[in-house]
Amino acid sequence: MRVPCPHCGERDVAEFRYGGDASKMRPTHDTGDLKQWHDYKFVFDNPKGPHLEYWQHVYGCRQWFKLNRNTATNEIIGGEK
Amino acid sequence: MTAFKRIDKQSHIDRTKLISFQFDGKMTNGFAGDTLASALLANGKTLLGRSFKYHRPRGIIGAGIEEPNALFTTGIGGRTEPNTISTTAELKSGITAKSQNAWPSLNFDLMAVNQLLSPLFGAGFYYKTFMGPFKKSWMMYEPIIRKAAGLGAALPDLDTARYDMRYMFCDVLVIGSGPAGLAAAVTAARTGARVVLAEQDFEFGGSILSSGSEELERWRKTQIAELEKSSEVRLLKRTTAQGIYDDNLVVLNHTPESHSALMITEQLRARTIIMATGAIERPLVFANNDRPGVMLASALRTYLNRFSVAPKKRAVIVTNNDSAYATAFDLAEHDVAVTVAEHRSALSGDLLAKAAQLGIAIFPSCGISDVVGEKQMRAVRLSGRHAVTIECDVLGMSGGWSPAVHLTSHGGIKPKFDEKIAAFIPGGFAKSHFGAGAVKGTFGLLAAIREGEVAARAALPECKKIKELDLPAIREDRKYSIQPIWNAAEKANEKYAFVDFQNDVTVKDIRGAHQEGYLSVEHLKRYTTLGMGTDQGKTSNINALAMMADLRGLAMSQAGTTTFRPPYSPITVGAIAGRTVAAHFRPKRLSPLHDWHVNNGATFIEAGLWMRAWYYNWAGNTPEAAYIKEMELVRQNVGIADVSTLGKIDVQGPDAAEFLNRVYVNGFAKLPVGRARYGVMLNDDGVVLDDGTTSRINDTQFYMTTTTAQAGEVMSWLEYLLQMHWTDLDVHVTSLTDQWGGMAVSGPNSRRALQLAFPEIDITNEALPYLGVMDFKFEGVGVRVLRLSFSGELAYEVHCSADYTTALWEHILNAAAPLGIKPYGLEALASLRIEKGHVAGADLDHRNTLDDLGLGKMAGKDKAYIGKELRFREDCQAPERWSLVGIECMEDGAKLRGGAILFAATDEIKGHGRGYITSVTWSTELNKYIALALYNGGMKHEGKEIICAFPLKNENVKARIVSPHFIDKQGERLHA
Amino acid sequence: MLKRISALASAVSFNGNDLSISESPDFALTQYAGAEKELKKALGKIPARVGVILEHDGRIQLRTNPAQIWLIGEPIEAEACISTPLSSSRTRIALQGKNTRVVLAKLCAIDFHPKQFKADMFVQTAIHHTPALIHCFGADDFHIYAMRTFALSVWEAVTDAALEFSA
Repeated sequence: MRVPCPHCGERDVAEFRYGGDASKMRPTHDTGDLKQWHDYKFVFDNPKGPHLEYWQHVYGCRQWFKLNRNTATNEIIGGEK
Repeated sequence: MTAFKRIDKQSHIDRTKLISFQFDGKMTNGFAGDTLASALLANGKTLLGRSFKYHRPRGIIGAGIEEPNALFTTGIGGRTEPNTISTTAELKSGITAKSQNAWPSLNFDLMAVNQLLSPLFGAGFYYKTFMGPFKKSWMMYEPIIRKAAGLGAALPDLDTARYDMRYMFCDVLVIGSGPAGLAAAVTAARTGARVVLAEQDFEFGGSILSSGSEELERWRKTQIAELEKSSEVRLLKRTTAQGIYDDNLVVLNHTPESHSALMITEQLRARTIIMATGAIERPLVFANNDRPGVMLASALRTYLNRFSVAPKKRAVIVTNNDSAYATAFDLAEHDVAVTVAEHRSALSGDLLAKAAQLGIAIFPSCGISDVVGEKQMRAVRLSGRHAVTIECDVLGMSGGWSPAVHLTSHGGIKPKFDEKIAAFIPGGFAKSHFGAGAVKGTFGLLAAIREGEVAARAALPECKKIKELDLPAIREDRKYSIQPIWNAAEKANEKYAFVDFQNDVTVKDIRGAHQEGYLSVEHLKRYTTLGMGTDQGKTSNINALAMMADLRGLAMSQAGTTTFRPPYSPITVGAIAGRTVAAHFRPKRLSPLHDWHVNNGATFIEAGLWMRAWYYNWAGNTPEAAYIKEMELVRQNVGIADVSTLGKIDVQGPDAAEFLNRVYVNGFAKLPVGRARYGVMLNDDGVVLDDGTTSRINDTQFYMTTTTAQAGEVMSWLEYLLQMHWTDLDVHVTSLTDQWGGMAVSGPNSRRALQLAFPEIDITNEALPYLGVMDFKFEGVGVRVLRLSFSGELAYEVHCSADYTTALWEHILNAAAPLGIKPYGLEALASLRIEKGHVAGADLDHRNTLDDLGLGKMAGKDKAYIGKELRFREDCQAPERWSLVGIECMEDGAKLRGGAILFAATDEIKGHGRGYITSVTWSTELNKYIALALYNGGMKHEGKEIICAFPLKNENVKARIVSPHFIDKQGERLHA
Repeated sequence: MLKRISALASAVSFNGNDLSISESPDFALTQYAGAEKELKKALGKIPARVGVILEHDGRIQLRTNPAQIWLIGEPIEAEACISTPLSSSRTRIALQGKNTRVVLAKLCAIDFHPKQFKADMFVQTAIHHTPALIHCFGADDFHIYAMRTFALSVWEAVTDAALEFSA
């Protein structure tokens, strides 16, 4: 599979590290709200189909970015820096 | 009694180059351009194997990759290759080939007795037969059956060949160099695009090589010459495309002509792929269709036209389609007497006329009811109206053609059935994939050429400017006409009518599978093993699936096919490993002090990818002896250890302090310049991620250390937080793990050692108190000294840039030599910290929380930090969670062991226990075995007796729960 | 003076057919981050995007990520910038000759065709599962910056890939 790094261009997936679901907003750092953090960390959809997720180009520019990838076909639908 | 002979005919062999080879111990000859199979046929060898289950005599059936029978073990010693496909193996000087699955010889094979037992050996026999008399009886039968099974044997010798691998890129990959492939490649090449033409065979041309046509040969040579001239074209003969993966990654196996490697595996990224993989002929299914001498009709034509090998006197051809007449006519034109058994009742006029002209007798509405002869066929009995017996040397059978759709379906698009040609064709093509020629069911040669051009134009828009190729001046394509005959066997003889030759699966087996309820093609395959041999059913799948469809009353399109998966043909494991074998399997990560350790008696141990000095021979020759000496040195005097593997991260920027404050559970915002602090960081879920010591170098700069194992994890985590979430923080993080080397100088004499090494620097207790950090220059090199202790003794860490670490290490050793300083390794390092009660990797297993490790009090109460919320979720606060304790052994002479399961003194030793030992060592101070462990309820049970159970060695050892800080509880040594 | 020792001190140069591989030591590498305006003032110009390389005044600048620039050569004074010396963190391997691209293609899933990867270009990728930076500075001239702790493994991977060109 090839992954399009927004800075280095398309590269082999072996150069990247997958970072999990990116569809939720991270709670602000000091909310102190257990339920909010619980939902953020443990409750997510795991869709078969388009999925917004984090990737890091660990063997390249080491930048993190988001990708919209179809989990059933590996087709990359879009991304953000 | 040989069925074939070499004839005097111009073909693709080079009679000026004689090649000697060995077959079953005897020397034989062939010519350059021969395959191992054609050379054997030319030498009159037709009995070439014994079948898998029944040990029936077998010979060559085909002339290509589809061959199920004629597999040999070639090579010797470390270069032995079982199951070599003789029909694709290029004849080379010095080949030694041995037949397989027969003992003592092909001619007289004792295991042929299996044929008598064949009623017991139907499909699935091992599931049904070897079931008793006891429950575990299968364990007794299995080794016997296993020994009798298989064709070639894999020897235990190390494979001595070198395999290479490479990554390549191109604009167009054309797979297959028959008429369609050549046309596509030439068209694409004319635009200057980067073209790769991959051909499995050792000659380009595909079906043209078997045509015997001078005009086609001329056309073939012209295309190849043009391709050879283009600098952006890579011509890869002897190259099989094994699989197509996501984003047009194609894996190819290439056998180079002369190279340091036997085979090169190529991972090719092609912008577009044109599949011109052709089609494979189907056998017909009738009684004893597996006898040596029964072959595919097209194979007979290939042996004649490509290799100048013809049947001795007479051939019978049995067919249900027009294509077999090409064979019939070519044979007749070379003085072979030909008779045709034609399943259809009517035939087109031009074929009848030509047959008459050549003196070929045709029996319509007629098939083969039986083949006579066991080790070599000698006659056939026709079925139908003309129940005649005809003596012949060979029988060529044609059941029609199956497009080789495998690669087209690797992406998941299932093939679809085309009624007109009674075959499966690609169900569609993914974007940037194209097909041309026989693979799409286009069996006409001229049409295939045009389709190749069309595919190139579709793949590369620039091709539209390229004019059409000159076609070869041959007869117009004949229309392909076929009447599907999936099972031509008479009911009474179905157990001798073979569908899968390699795995000995007959029509009877298919009927049996149906009767027993294994109806889907997936079940049929796995229950009968049809299509599961090394040939992956290339000549059997379609016939079988059609028979099952028929039994189930389904149309072919409803029956479906099994899933085609890579590899297309067998690959040797070495080719997949490539160069990453032995020392090259994984990278080794070496400390800057590595060479010094090697030269000074260190024994190494792997810690992840790192090679770490484990112990030194000055202390002893075994790890058990050495580490104790090294520990004593540190506790009583001074030792020096390599800690360069620690993760080191530079954290700099106006918001660096705020950043660290959020990441660590304890406060870092107010850490004074020139001070270090032990920190623990949690993951969002409240579980401990890592610990380390972070020092403040100036207002906006921190020097963070992490554990060796987690360095990469932590770096990515910090980058993630800064880049994806806290973009408002002005902080930069940089890994310094490679930039800096580090050494721990530990022991009551460590200060004196450093004073001797750095006489100009004030390293008194006042100048550098416990947890102080100091930077200075020594002989022009920046040195950082951190007063940290992992061992619990007075200790310092000395860091400097990696290129100078060895020189600095040697300098300290020399300067402090009068004190008796010596190096100590990882084993002692680990043992010292256990005595002190420091948690480390073994205890931080990503399930443990701060409280589990007894570090709950570290966390700041009034500040926010990552993991603060979820740290207090119910499960993390459960009172009976296991938490950190110390353990001391109460039995003289007994050992504590890492991983031992802990029970209360009164528990039954059964089940999961109440905890386990995470780290163990022999304590030189306490003179007993001690350990750190996790135990339900933790220090609440201080003082209680427990049992450490180690079932693997049948040990139950009495121990007691104590504080994890075994020595110097007040920290007096640290503050000396 | 303390002796400077490289990670490839014991490696023997490879001299093969149209291919030579050797260590190219003794370079200064500094990473600059933050306050790019000031850095630009001090240097004259800086690379705008990741993957861009500039060479002038005896210094090579490579932008390795949106917030960091590598400077190879004499470090520059730019107080507001965060400058991190990294000269020990990398080991530099020089490859020279017509067959270099064949060897590189065996190591990285990068298109090394002379039209795709040419002089004054660099790429950050992996060699034998370790991060490496490859700089092309001539038709057949390359520098690999390997991580110091992996330098010997990378050296062995590169010279093993070069085996077919042994003299």
